[in-house]
Amino acid sequence: MTLLPQRPPIKDAPVVIRTKDVSKRFIIRKDKSLKERIVNFGRSKQHKEDFWALRDIGIEITAGTSVGLVGANGSGKSTLLKVIGGIIQPNDGFVERRGRLAALLELGAGFHPDLTGRENVFLNGSILGLTQQQTADYFDSIVAFSEIGDFIDTQVKFYSSGMYVRLAFAIAVHVDPDILLVDEVLAVGDEPFQKKCMDKIREFQQEGRTIVFVSHSAGQIADLCDRVIVLSHGKIVFDGETEAGIDALRESFGS
Amino acid sequence: MTSIAQERADRLKSLPFQKSAVAGGGLIGGFWGSIKEIAAHRELLDLLIRRELKARYKDSSLGFIWSLIRPLTMLLIYYVAIGQFLGAARGIPDFAIFVFTGLTIWGLYSEIVSTGTMSIIGNAGLIKKVYLPREIFPLAATGSAIFNFVIQMVVLVGATILLGQFPLSWNLLYVPVAIVIVLVWGVAFALLLSALNVYLRDVQYLVEVAMLILFWASPIVYSWSLVVGAITNSRAPWLIEVYLLNPVTVAVLAFQKGLWQAGSETRTLGDAVVGPQPWPPDLDLRLLVTAVVGFVFLIICQRVFQKLQGNFAQEI
Repeated sequence: MTLLPQRPPIKDAPVVIRTKDVSKRFIIRKDKSLKERIVNFGRSKQHKEDFWALRDIGIEITAGTSVGLVGANGSGKSTLLKVIGGIIQPNDGFVERRGRLAALLELGAGFHPDLTGRENVFLNGSILGLTQQQTADYFDSIVAFSEIGDFIDTQVKFYSSGMYVRLAFAIAVHVDPDILLVDEVLAVGDEPFQKKCMDKIREFQQEGRTIVFVSHSAGQIADLCDRVIVLSHGKIVFDGETEAGIDALRESFGS
Repeated sequence: MTSIAQERADRLKSLPFQKSAVAGGGLIGGFWGSIKEIAAHRELLDLLIRRELKARYKDSSLGFIWSLIRPLTMLLIYYVAIGQFLGAARGIPDFAIFVFTGLTIWGLYSEIVSTGTMSIIGNAGLIKKVYLPREIFPLAATGSAIFNFVIQMVVLVGATILLGQFPLSWNLLYVPVAIVIVLVWGVAFALLLSALNVYLRDVQYLVEVAMLILFWASPIVYSWSLVVGAITNSRAPWLIEVYLLNPVTVAVLAFQKGLWQAGSETRTLGDAVVGPQPWPPDLDLRLLVTAVVGFVFLIICQRVFQKLQGNFAQEI
């Protein structure tokens, strides 16, 4: 196990994310076209199936902590992350946040294949909440971090997948977020770049940024998080210390 | 000495909590709130419009000229087929300017509605991953439609000047009014239909068909006087009111009144003398009502959009 660097202590850290009784229901329709809907009108109950992806989730996350959201496939952890990020609205309850939020949900989601790397940096920076001026100021640093070099003026459709995610990650970490949401994206690029990503995450932790991870890798969670929330079938089954959390996660797989 | 982390924590403590993605607010209050949110993202809106325009013709050598070739081809087709073969040009002075005037304003409307309808689905990748005020996507589609419209407008005005037909009169005031009406109704429909299209993909095909019909439901390639002639001779003169209920029809008429000078003058076409074209009675009042109703409709559509957008990320 790697040794955790000493985190700076934060005196009476404020709560930055608060969810209250958040519930999310998904309805799975089996008919999608108008014809099917008309044909099945009145019997629509049979063609609908709903389940609760999240049920009465109430959590508070204080500034400077790194929280791991874990659980089996379909336990609702990614949904919870999206609800926190405001991408999905809950059916019940509410989410409150403060500070600038950046989401590393899928790297390069905002890239347009026909535009050059440079144009995409500005577009993606703006999507993540930077002004044009800020992006221009960070531009050199973003290119340096991504190690893309001269390819920055090539259309991104010609990039290799590694270059693609490196550039996207470089933009995302330059957004200067107070809260960072990370969904399974840290395993990008080759090994040196992965190490660079991890170093950047540690640097973020040092700077007191709040990080919420979704990950399947128990090793990564143990490495980075100081609090673990285990979800199972949309409910919180464990919330606490990392080591106990990983045990709880293994248990929830069994159930 | 306080650490960076402590400073950040202290700063965060002073910030108020924000509820994420609030759909609430009253009809007007919620609308206003959304406007402010979009205004805060106007840089992004600007970039998205550029992206749309740049990406569209990125690898073509003619580039933006393509966005002109389409309307000019349509002009040619209608000029030859409808104007000359079917003889519509015999009753309509300066037929080419007349048709291009109608095509230009209609093109704005139809592009806003049809590209707007596809805009949410087309940006599925972004909508699923990042929170942005989603109105931005139909608005970006509107922006690129406006850009194409401006290019056509330059050609149209250039042509009227070249032909010595530039309509220097008070009628020019009808032009901005028509544009505002088309924008308001176009954006309203783009918002409404783009949101509905997420839930029911049939909407996009419905829009295609509706646009075909609506093109012929406005006096673009035939003149208003032909409509009046056909309807007043029939047994149902009230049909003319139905015809004028279409907001785009009213806007097209206003736009033509503003830019098609020959319609307001007496001209000789061959042997025949054609007097000034008739315009609908109370055109000014109709424009005012259409604009006011359009604004109300826009607010309602935005509220519906706001209501529906909460589930976009999972329904796409």
